[in-house]
Amino acid sequence: MYKLIRQGQRLSCWMPAAQQIHTTAVQCTFWEREKKSGYKTKLPEPSKKQLIMDGLRDLKEEIKLWRKEVTEQLESDPILVFRPGETDVVFDFKAPDVLDKWTVTTDADHGEGKSTAALELSAAGAGLFHGEVNSNHTKDGIIKRTGYANIRTKRVRKSFKRESTYDWTQYNMLIMKVRGDGRSYLINLHTEGYFDLMWNDIYHYVLYTRGGPHWQIAKIPFSKFFLSSKGRVQDRQGAIPLNRVTHFGFSVAAKKGMDGPFGLEIDYVGLEYDPSHREEFAYEMYQTPKYIVAT
Amino acid sequence: MLRRAQCLLRMHSTGRQSLCAGQRVPAVLHRNYSADETNSNSGNPNAKRSGTGGSKSLPAVRNVFAAAQDKTKDTYLTMVEIFQERDVHRRNHVEFIYAALKHMPDFGVENDLEVYKALINVMPKGKFIPTNLFQAEFMHYPKQQQCIIDLLEQMEDFGVMPDYEMEAMLLNVFGNKGHPLRKYWRMMYWMPKFKNLSPWPLPNPVPDDTLEIAKLAVERMCTVDLRSQINVFDTKELKDAVDETWIVSGMSPEQSKLLREHSRQKALYIEGPFHIWIRNRRINYFTLRADADTEFLAQLDERQLDEDDVSHIEVPFFGRPPPRRHNQLGKLRSVHQQDDGTIFAICATGTSTKDSLLSWIRLLEAHGNPSIGEVPVLFRFTSTVPAKAEEIEGPASVPATSSDSSSRSRKEEEPSVS
Repeated sequence: MYKLIRQGQRLSCWMPAAQQIHTTAVQCTFWEREKKSGYKTKLPEPSKKQLIMDGLRDLKEEIKLWRKEVTEQLESDPILVFRPGETDVVFDFKAPDVLDKWTVTTDADHGEGKSTAALELSAAGAGLFHGEVNSNHTKDGIIKRTGYANIRTKRVRKSFKRESTYDWTQYNMLIMKVRGDGRSYLINLHTEGYFDLMWNDIYHYVLYTRGGPHWQIAKIPFSKFFLSSKGRVQDRQGAIPLNRVTHFGFSVAAKKGMDGPFGLEIDYVGLEYDPSHREEFAYEMYQTPKYIVAT
Repeated sequence: MLRRAQCLLRMHSTGRQSLCAGQRVPAVLHRNYSADETNSNSGNPNAKRSGTGGSKSLPAVRNVFAAAQDKTKDTYLTMVEIFQERDVHRRNHVEFIYAALKHMPDFGVENDLEVYKALINVMPKGKFIPTNLFQAEFMHYPKQQQCIIDLLEQMEDFGVMPDYEMEAMLLNVFGNKGHPLRKYWRMMYWMPKFKNLSPWPLPNPVPDDTLEIAKLAVERMCTVDLRSQINVFDTKELKDAVDETWIVSGMSPEQSKLLREHSRQKALYIEGPFHIWIRNRRINYFTLRADADTEFLAQLDERQLDEDDVSHIEVPFFGRPPPRRHNQLGKLRSVHQQDDGTIFAICATGTSTKDSLLSWIRLLEAHGNPSIGEVPVLFRFTSTVPAKAEEIEGPASVPATSSDSSSRSRKEEEPSVS
């Protein structure tokens, strides 16, 4: 290690100053410092006093949560029978304070685009994810294509701000009651892992919306979801680990000249067990050639 | 050796150029890639070349694609052909391909597979195939490979699916270990899977005619009821219609029935304009709806049994007939009776004006829905397209966004029976 540092120093002495400036994007292929991959916004830290006050205020709610967890553990009465045709609602937009559970992001957040989006309650009482996607981007020479808007739930957690995951292993269908505008939306199921390689694991599928005034119930088997990381479909695929789902979200993009307003009204997102659906994974799992896949 | 050095130089061209700006380097390293692009004329393949020597000044970069007079596919392909035939070495082909890719939408060829193939064909065959393991592993000719990867990515972005001929071309250029080949294989695995996924398939490309798009849109929205009928009306049918335009209207027999049964005291609303996307085209549409029949919906809720409730299980053996399903003879809820309103019809008109909508109502009345004449019809431009609503309604009475619509609904006189 020491030798390397020495070498580095020698090199920097020998090289002219121009050589040290990167003219291209630096690729840190393997190691990542934080989960946002360089997009983390530095927020000013509140004062120590404020932190203590906030902590004490949160403590009450956290203890309530914790008590609930303990009772659940003691009761030890999990749902064992998942009746077919019965939808268990996970994200209900008719519930109070539902909008606090979601985060809206667009490419404009980091000055990389001009899309706008918001998540509000619609006149029908459902959640309305609407806005305008714009593929015009700031010409900084690095960004090639932009134009997206995205909503995502906050990380599921246990009491005392401990992170946890959803356990949806008993279900095999995703049910959504939505009213769209004819656009297709991307359903994102994040299965964030422990290691940095797995931080960006997202399972995707498309939500095609009919458009029009009628509500539409979309029923999508989990077997259809495919793995991608940072927007790239992965070579090594596998069925979604339903016990490790951390976030849920929708995306919409301005691809192929679809710049303009969008609106997706969501009533609820639920889960269902359909015994007639036996498929585990919809895509081929044959042996792939060595040194070609995942390169 | 020299070729290798040049290749290395290409890899680090930006950094190296700044490095050797002040130093003396062999003339061959100073060759400028854009120089012959600069001085050659696209129409004249024998144009003189200069600037290959030690020209100190920066070359003025001239883009043949930007300068082209008529931007058609033929011109585009001719330019590619000229580039291929100009020089046996095909210098600058990477830059040429990048420039060509960038200007594809200008020529309207971004969805054309043939053009992409022509660009791949610019690459020399056999020269970039790695001959040993190390070359294969370390991305032999990286600039060239990256260029074709970018080309394939552009195809992916525009939704152009490659074919097997392209695979053969890529194999000839980069060999079976090339990174563009990997990209190609991935595309050929996923793109056919995603191509026909939509439950509402659309023609590709979608027609340019607004009427055709409107038909597609109304058809798509009416798939909710299989018995829906799409009618294309012409306002000329009516005696004194103000607008002369077309109206695409979608209505099913069930909706007609609901409309017949609709209370004469409760108003109907024409709402809109809402928009629907047909691939990358947007169409405004209007709905004819009424407020939800709350009594009927509540009645349905009442009849639903709580299946989890085990406190009142009736024994079917003693004295009573077995319980029947309660709503066997009752009215069933129609798909058009939504929680937030009953939808009677959908339309898209050529002008999206209030007059055309009035014509629509009169046309519906004339075509088998005489009851509309007896019900008050209100216009309610509560729209997600505020600009359009304002245009229709007039600037004064429509606020920009919609949440509470009742305050601005304006009673329109009942359409006269014609």
